[in-house]
Amino acid sequence: MRLSDLRRTTSFRLAVLFLLLFGTAAILLCGFLFMQTRNYLAHRTDDTLRVELGPFDHMDAAQLRQLLTAHVAMDPHLQRPLALFDVKGERICGSALGPPQFQVLNHPAGQPFTFTLRRGGRTVYFRGLIRALPDHELLLIAEDMTGIRAFRSLILQSCLWGGLATILLGLIGAVMAGAGAVRRIDGITRAVQRIVRGDLAGRLPTHGDSGDLDRLAQEINFMLGEIERLMLEVKGVCDNVAHDLRTPLTRLLAGLERVRRRAGSVDDYEAAVDEAMQEIRGLLKTFAAMLRIAEVESGARRAGFAALDLTQISADVVEFYEPIAEQKNVALTRLCDDAVPMLGDPSLLFEAISNLVDNALKFTPPGGRIGVRVFAGDGGRGIEVSDTGPGIPPDQREAVLRRFYRAEQSRHTPGSGLGLALVSGVAGLHDMMVRISDANPGCRIALVGQAYQRD
Amino acid sequence: MTRVLVVEDDRQTAEEIVAALSDHGFAVDSAGTGREGLLKAAAESYDAIVLDRMLPGGLDGLGVLATLRTAGVAAPVLILSALSGVDERVRGLRAGGDDYLTKPFDFLELTARLDVLLRRRTAVPQRETTLRAGRLEMDLLTHTVTLAGAPVELLPREFRLLECLMRHAGQLVTRTMLFEEVWNYHYIEPTNVIDVHIGKLRRKIDPDGTQPMIQTVRGAGFILRAPE
Repeated sequence: MRLSDLRRTTSFRLAVLFLLLFGTAAILLCGFLFMQTRNYLAHRTDDTLRVELGPFDHMDAAQLRQLLTAHVAMDPHLQRPLALFDVKGERICGSALGPPQFQVLNHPAGQPFTFTLRRGGRTVYFRGLIRALPDHELLLIAEDMTGIRAFRSLILQSCLWGGLATILLGLIGAVMAGAGAVRRIDGITRAVQRIVRGDLAGRLPTHGDSGDLDRLAQEINFMLGEIERLMLEVKGVCDNVAHDLRTPLTRLLAGLERVRRRAGSVDDYEAAVDEAMQEIRGLLKTFAAMLRIAEVESGARRAGFAALDLTQISADVVEFYEPIAEQKNVALTRLCDDAVPMLGDPSLLFEAISNLVDNALKFTPPGGRIGVRVFAGDGGRGIEVSDTGPGIPPDQREAVLRRFYRAEQSRHTPGSGLGLALVSGVAGLHDMMVRISDANPGCRIALVGQAYQRD
Repeated sequence: MTRVLVVEDDRQTAEEIVAALSDHGFAVDSAGTGREGLLKAAAESYDAIVLDRMLPGGLDGLGVLATLRTAGVAAPVLILSALSGVDERVRGLRAGGDDYLTKPFDFLELTARLDVLLRRRTAVPQRETTLRAGRLEMDLLTHTVTLAGAPVELLPREFRLLECLMRHAGQLVTRTMLFEEVWNYHYIEPTNVIDVHIGKLRRKIDPDGTQPMIQTVRGAGFILRAPE
């Protein structure tokens, strides 16, 4: 993890963006609060000064002078100075304001103003109000603003510290979020590199927290699973193609060699040629079946879908296989008469159902039963073929749908191992699932599609 | 002699088809492109045309077919194609084709189908109500079959099977053709299940097994031969 990576992560950028937005909002709020408080305090001071000047209007000069002199004694620290000036601006009595000397004539009467005095080496702020008395003397009332100013600077400081803490916390949060994202992306990158190097079983790390990255990773893992399955299947198919084609080719070659050695008559040669042709037809059949499965799986045949009745097709299949069932002394019955309409490719469905019935006939012992049932209900619609044969063990139920898969016990029965793969392909083409279950005894294979859309 | 034109771009395939059709007793010409095929078909009169669906040079099989039909060439056309979809087949037939065969195919299948197309062309257009083959007689209106005057009980499917064989009496009918005509599904890989159906039919029309009329052609199909 590098710092430059951190800056590029979405989480970090998002966090910083939010920090900026939130910070601006906080600064605006603090500023507003500060201004409002300051204005409120100033107004309050001014109002107090005005109110306190009121009583002096009704005093005569002697009374005023006496009160001012008394006030000076009560207010030695100039918390609330009161002073009387004559027309020239000379102090008559009251608090001594200085240094510097307070110039009463520099300030308008009746209008609150701010002035400063130096005391003990520091500047003290005052808010003052001058009243012009009827005899042209000027009365000043003032208030020490130190407390209010301290309060103001306290607000300012808390705003500053709060803002600083916000920025710091926000930055820490952004770094942590970004670092977390970088760590997880690093983990994903490493996993991807492992997969690219050929470890198909590798998966992206997930944390099970259903976050967005996790959901993405889960989806990708699902996709990787599918890809792995397909790769293994392709590999298996290649191996099986090689094996399944080598066997008949070897037989073909052996037959031709034998006839080359021994044949004495045209009849012998003709028989050998016939045999070879038979063998090659079988090979071509296998290829054709593989190509058809590929074609079915590509979905290209969806273009030829038409409305059809599944019951009709299953009836045709049953009718088609009836003579074979009779020959084998197996009861082949159809268990439903209601029409089950759907969209599909009738020939492919016929072939798929045929393969199921054909398999069932292959594995059902004489005296057994095979049932073909078409169903449509809330659980979906589809077709089901059940038999009283040996059944398919649960651990092989998925494998039998693969191309060329031959169960160990059926390796010596005739067949290409492509029948159920085609069934699976046709089912997929029609958005149906292949379900294999126990018929107790025997095997039950169902192609299940969606139920009717309820309007 | 029956004259057939083969339009196929792959030289080796074309040669094989020509050889197979010649061996079958046809006089065969071949063309390598759609344009050449069109010129030949327009200049001379052929009894049937075997047309590859995919042709190089801008004019493909269906284009050739459409042009031929517009020009009034009525010879039956059998389309060869690597495309096996039902819709492809429908498209081919709709463009004026008379039959559709998916590659790869057996040459026996090709000649059998050509025989059927040629026979259909020369057959009397009027609707038949009875079919006859040796001692067998089939009434298409009442759906009854008699063998030397004695009624034969057939299931509906067996009736259609026999009808198909009787219509092409003396000709090879492949399993695929039977399957398509009798069961109406376009099944590419016919199974031997049809043989069992044929076996049952055989026993019904030849109960004592003295005069087998339906003969099996190994690896190909069946022929109904009826000695007069």
